[in-house]
Amino acid sequence: MIDVIASEWMKLRTLRSNLHVLACSVTAVLACAGIAFMIGRGFDGKTLDEKMAFPGNGDGLGNGIAVAYFVFAVLGALAITSEHSTGMIQTSLVAVPRRRVLLLAKIPGLAAVALVAGQVLAFIMHAASMAALGDRAGQLLREGVTLGTPLSEPGVLASVIVAGLSMAAVALIGLGVGAAVRSTPGALVVLTVLIVVLPVVAKTLPMPLRAQAGSFMIEKLPLQIAGVGGGILPPAAAAGLLVAYVLAALTAGATMITPAGRRIKVLAIGAAAALLVSAVPAAAAGSPGPSPTPAWADCADKTLVKEMRCATIKVPVNWAERSGRSIDLAVGLLPATGAQRRMGTVFAIPGGPGGSGVEDLSKNAGSFTELRDRFDVVSVEPRNTVDKGVLSFDCLFSGPWISLPETPAEYAELGRRNRAAAQRCRSADPEFFDHMDSASVARDMEAIRVALGEEKLSFIANSYGGRPGIEYSRLFPGRVRAMVFDGSVNPYLHGAHNRLAHEKSFTRFAAWCAATTTCALHGQDVGEVWRALVARADRVPVPVRGESPAAAYSGLDIKEAAAPSIISPGEEPGLPRWTELAEAIKRAADGDASGFADYVRQATKSPKVPSSTGMNMTHCLDGLVFRDYEEYRRRRREGERLLPNIAGTELWHPLGCVGWPTSVTNPPGPLPARGLPPYLGVGSWTDFDRSADIVRRVPGSAAVQYQGYGHGLYNAGNSCVIGHVNRYLISLRLPASGTVCPKSGT
Amino acid sequence: MIEVRGLSMRYGRTLAVDDLTCTVKPGLVTGFLGPNGAGKSTTMRAVLGLEVPASGEALVDGRPYASLRRPMRTMGALLDAGAVHGGRSARDHLGCLARSNGIDRARVTAVLDQVGLTDVAGKRIGGFSLGMKQRLGMAAALLGDPAVLMFDEPLNGLDPEGIRWLRGLLRSLADEGRTVLLSSHLMNEMALTADHVIVIGRGRLIADAAMNALAAHFQGDVLVRTRHPERLTAIMRAHGGTVVAADDGARVARSAALSAALSVRGLDASEIGVLALSQGIALVELTPRAASLEEAFMRLTEDSTEYRSESGTTPKETVR
Repeated sequence: MIDVIASEWMKLRTLRSNLHVLACSVTAVLACAGIAFMIGRGFDGKTLDEKMAFPGNGDGLGNGIAVAYFVFAVLGALAITSEHSTGMIQTSLVAVPRRRVLLLAKIPGLAAVALVAGQVLAFIMHAASMAALGDRAGQLLREGVTLGTPLSEPGVLASVIVAGLSMAAVALIGLGVGAAVRSTPGALVVLTVLIVVLPVVAKTLPMPLRAQAGSFMIEKLPLQIAGVGGGILPPAAAAGLLVAYVLAALTAGATMITPAGRRIKVLAIGAAAALLVSAVPAAAAGSPGPSPTPAWADCADKTLVKEMRCATIKVPVNWAERSGRSIDLAVGLLPATGAQRRMGTVFAIPGGPGGSGVEDLSKNAGSFTELRDRFDVVSVEPRNTVDKGVLSFDCLFSGPWISLPETPAEYAELGRRNRAAAQRCRSADPEFFDHMDSASVARDMEAIRVALGEEKLSFIANSYGGRPGIEYSRLFPGRVRAMVFDGSVNPYLHGAHNRLAHEKSFTRFAAWCAATTTCALHGQDVGEVWRALVARADRVPVPVRGESPAAAYSGLDIKEAAAPSIISPGEEPGLPRWTELAEAIKRAADGDASGFADYVRQATKSPKVPSSTGMNMTHCLDGLVFRDYEEYRRRRREGERLLPNIAGTELWHPLGCVGWPTSVTNPPGPLPARGLPPYLGVGSWTDFDRSADIVRRVPGSAAVQYQGYGHGLYNAGNSCVIGHVNRYLISLRLPASGTVCPKSGT
Repeated sequence: MIEVRGLSMRYGRTLAVDDLTCTVKPGLVTGFLGPNGAGKSTTMRAVLGLEVPASGEALVDGRPYASLRRPMRTMGALLDAGAVHGGRSARDHLGCLARSNGIDRARVTAVLDQVGLTDVAGKRIGGFSLGMKQRLGMAAALLGDPAVLMFDEPLNGLDPEGIRWLRGLLRSLADEGRTVLLSSHLMNEMALTADHVIVIGRGRLIADAAMNALAAHFQGDVLVRTRHPERLTAIMRAHGGTVVAADDGARVARSAALSAALSVRGLDASEIGVLALSQGIALVELTPRAASLEEAFMRLTEDSTEYRSESGTTPKETVR
């Protein structure tokens, strides 16, 4: 056998035409570089968001790999078909009458050449692609990868090496096909179909089928083996499939080279081996599919996006008494699209407290498009959603107006008012009302995980959803695969420290006004106007035209009404909410607060911002409270020191909990020191600090700031944030410290 | 030694070789004769294991060729001088073959020298003439210094000098005690080359004999030309002669325009002369003719002429 292998090696290297065939592989490099160049050309001149939406070029081999495969397949096929076409096969068979030995002896030399040449070619193709992309390769895309992935990215070195290996595999496939077909033109036709036609046909199929069929194409296997995408197969299954293709082709060749009459045995052995090699890893990997125990069905709510599936899940009202009364929670699912191997489930934790995650997920479905290539995305309409029907919507939606107590007596009076409003809702179902804390919400999320049959979950905690996210991390650290805090509330930062970014935002508003002629306060010192207004309103509340004197705005009312506008100026370039805010301030300075009341009424049906009982029923249990009047005074003094323009807003939520009928059941607690994976925090100018502070408490974590306004950046479709979050959720890779997302549109 | 025992080969419904049994012995040059399509190549391919027999077997030194570990050291064969890859040099071609059978690289140089291709050893085979390819094929067969050699139509494409060279080579190989089998469809060629002939037609064995015994078996005739063929025929037949009209074609002289030619067997020239004199018949010509082997061959294989017309359907090159 060794003699025959040596002889076949000599045959291979003594034919100059083989060198010429190998030289043709340079066309694969040209294809890679050319297409990468075109991508780069298309990339330039696009807006940031358009760039982010580009499909990734990955390791860059995909554009030329079919060409490379063709070259190696031809090299392999010619190793035997050239013997048939010249008649040399007869001479070879006289020299080596054991025919399968003759065929198999061609493998080592061919494989060795293809291995070396394939590796060299793969790396050159990669280098050419990266070079053609240049600096643009580093651009992060929405799908969570960079436009070009350098070898330093995880899995890329592996995918390039495997691509090189696969070229050797393809050379052997060519050999098998050549031996089976026995003619060069015939082999070329078969190989063209295998390498070129089938992948093209697969790409024309409708979507889930396209991804499924595409995953089985040889050219998609290296990426899947390296685990960096390419299709729906797990690495072992993809590797098994590649080997099975080689075995199948060589079996066909060995069968046909065997004299008729003795072929069945060869065919049977080869087919069995190929089946085994492809089936065993696939079976061992198991079906990664979900075992969706919840009975997913079309959603009853027809305002939800069509592809959303809905289910209900039963959870105990009181998790301490699981056998007790239960309630139904609506769960919404945006299923993975099947474009890539499914990695698991991402749970989008809604904000609020009490926002409907199902509605949010439906409304923001577009933000999850890329993520759904690999993940199911679920959310829940949590227990503390105000329109659940258990408690009266009206009482939960509204609440008392809040004033800053100046004395212990006023503090107590505020407490009596709050308690009366709370009792009005609580009396309908006290047990339910007393279990609206975020820890209960976190336990509900765990129940959903169990129902989904997922080993672990990944999370995007939005706004107040950060609190259930933290509680889940504390209760079930081993179940967290990844967690993103997006503009999340931070229970570890107290009062004014939570609002420093808002104060900074006011400064920006003032600067904008000074620079913008359309600002109603243009030409005045906005800070001075504002501070004079709120000081005067604290002494003499500013009436709202057409409303009772009770609706007159105190300084705190003005600040609370202005706060959402201060931190969210609205779309560039008009910044409508800042424009509106400046006008409201101007009118209030002139003695009429209806500029504020008009838009507050739209959102709350109240002329002044009420302290929402529905939110408080969670806040107050979650420990967003003052221990006593003394603490209130201390926090207030601190706020007045740190927040020259918006002092008092930081007291708003705890003031709503003064006098609350139920005591704190879920006080903030530290995150576990170990056992959690690194987290990712994201946030805008106004909410980055809070998220960053949370993830700083989990070793190895990172945070990305978006240099602009906004809240709930992922949901809002911020491409840069989506790119970083997706990369983290897909590959658990975090951005370097200090990474920022530039302002959209720049 | 090559032994063929009860060998039958079948292509579809056509029986190409029909229960052939023969033995090719060492120390002799054995000719394997038969018209085109008689089954010579098929038999040779069966000996080399290139075809699977329908029944029977072919053995080389007592073993099937395909079971030999390094077959080129036991038997060298040349079936088709064109069965080479034109892209390789003669030296590389032989090198590949030598390597596959664990034959020392020095043999390549030796056989190239033996067949006279040393000067073109580095040239691509694609540029070789048919004769050069035949020499290269011979070189490949000789590479393993085998005790058994088998050549299919080796004289094709050789110039007269080449043919003489090959005859000498075959002779010396046989004299070294090797078994040498070569096929041909031309008897005259064999007459000068072979010690022994095996003749087949339509896949069946027709003759298996020493060359001189075969020649003796087929005697010659006497050509008689006369203006009185009827009378002469009658008297010759009366004396035991076998007379048929002879076709003497263009050799008819103007003066003999009215004469007829007869081929006579069973009587020699002097007996015919005496008989003609006794009858007063003038003979225009009286020529004893030795039997040509070619004619003997034709007569042996007359039965297989029908088969010859079917021979186009016999695959020769295909490897199955």
